[in-house]
Amino acid sequence: MVEKVRGSFRDPSGFIFAVDGQLFRQINEKYREDYDLLMNSGLYDQLTKSKTLVSHKEADLALAPRAEIAYKVIQPGVVDFISYPYEWCFNQLKDAAILTLSIARRALEFDMSLKDASAYNIQFHHGRPIFIDTLSFEKYQEGLPWVAYKQFCQHFLAPLALMAHTDIRLVQLLKVYIDGIPLDLASELLPAGTKLNFGLATHIHLHAKSQQRYANKEISQDDMRGHISKSQLNGLFDNLLSTVRGLKVKTIATEWTDYYQNNNYTQASFEEKRSLVKSLIEKVNPKLVWDLGGNIGEFSRAASGMGIPTVCFDIDPGAVQQNYDLVKKNKEKFMLPLLMDLTNPSPALGWHNAERDSMQARGPVDLVMALALIHHLAISNNVPLFDVADYFAELGDYLILEFVPKSDSQVKKLLTSRKDIFPGYSLEGFRIAFSSRFEIISEEKVPGSERTLFLLKKK
Amino acid sequence: MNNLIIHAFIRGAAQNYLDPSSGSIIIQLILGAVLGLGVVVRVFWKKIKAFFTRNRIEPDVVLDPTTIVEVPSSNYSERNE
Repeated sequence: MVEKVRGSFRDPSGFIFAVDGQLFRQINEKYREDYDLLMNSGLYDQLTKSKTLVSHKEADLALAPRAEIAYKVIQPGVVDFISYPYEWCFNQLKDAAILTLSIARRALEFDMSLKDASAYNIQFHHGRPIFIDTLSFEKYQEGLPWVAYKQFCQHFLAPLALMAHTDIRLVQLLKVYIDGIPLDLASELLPAGTKLNFGLATHIHLHAKSQQRYANKEISQDDMRGHISKSQLNGLFDNLLSTVRGLKVKTIATEWTDYYQNNNYTQASFEEKRSLVKSLIEKVNPKLVWDLGGNIGEFSRAASGMGIPTVCFDIDPGAVQQNYDLVKKNKEKFMLPLLMDLTNPSPALGWHNAERDSMQARGPVDLVMALALIHHLAISNNVPLFDVADYFAELGDYLILEFVPKSDSQVKKLLTSRKDIFPGYSLEGFRIAFSSRFEIISEEKVPGSERTLFLLKKK
Repeated sequence: MNNLIIHAFIRGAAQNYLDPSSGSIIIQLILGAVLGLGVVVRVFWKKIKAFFTRNRIEPDVVLDPTTIVEVPSSNYSERNE
């Protein structure tokens, strides 16, 4: 069955579609020349060899859903999990920006130009950013400016600058503005001191002013004196690169980054919990794991260490960044750290609410892990246990869940500042609530703690 | 001639599916003029330095996309191995 991928409509060069769950891309006749140049110039080979551009195979042209305008059908390599820039930590967005600029610069050497610079063209695969839009390259025309300059600034530079100089949480603005943060807004939100940084002063502040000034104005010949040469474009790319490289977030020590130094576990019981979790994962033998509230990925690594692609979601930007830095340092292939507030997970966004999938729509997966998370959902966020069970049952087939009782110091802490309105929050209450959606396969006390580890299977 | 190119570019936004925005192009042209000069100076400076130090000119490795994402070694253990 051929399915349209509804987020793929902006670029008339082609579009993505799915046949029986497999992804294909139709390349339109309109893009013929550019596609041939990409493939024959050596650019494709170089970028795919360095794993910076997704590779593809040419597929049967008869698959083309719009045969009348089709030139080719290709089948791109797949990534384990599609993520979006508002789910990335600072360093992930920064690496994605650097990759985009590096590819733009490299393309120019092959007389091609990157015609868009959307952050959604980057995915994280095998621990590294990879460019996934094969149709983003076009023949370079001498003298013409970089058409994606504005988009690059909106999708990458503005959020990075805001995260580095104003507040790390402002990456969430990308959820509101699907085509990147408007530069006048970024300029307004950035501290005045950033006007002394050449890159930010020009690419954001002056850029915003220039957009304002020339909005709805026919540009006079005088305003457009001169064209932009290749070496000038390189100068622009270099400057954007050094501006991006210069952006850094202060060490993010937030509530969770030191969790493991400061929790209910001794080193020994921590190790025991890890091997317990590992044995449960082995029992399920999943293809893909979601670890919800996975912090810096201590227990996600029980899965990813076995070669199982694992997404480790956490609400804390500090933890996600620490996790991503570990992935890079150790060149881990199967761990993807992502930022997610599970009490308000990523919604479906964009045109028709269909350009970007909700978190849930990107599932379900074989195995969901929720270790020491339940009290945050049930007590901090007042979600009834039955509702938590309903939600988890929609996310995955198997669930490894650690129940944290009221006698646990972490729960006590949550209840110090508020009234205990949770009479049903108990081990027995948990069993009753989760039995509505799951079969309890095993349950085991976590040694050295008050907690219980469950393996559950969806009914 | 140059003006014609730019004009065609802006008018012919039909060729591009993105709206490049006039203001963005103008700031880019100005920056290009300033930063392009920097590139020329840098290349020239490298040559001068190379002449005096008798070193050959190093390729620009910093901008290689592979520097942030190295090609993994082929014997990386795949899943379930």
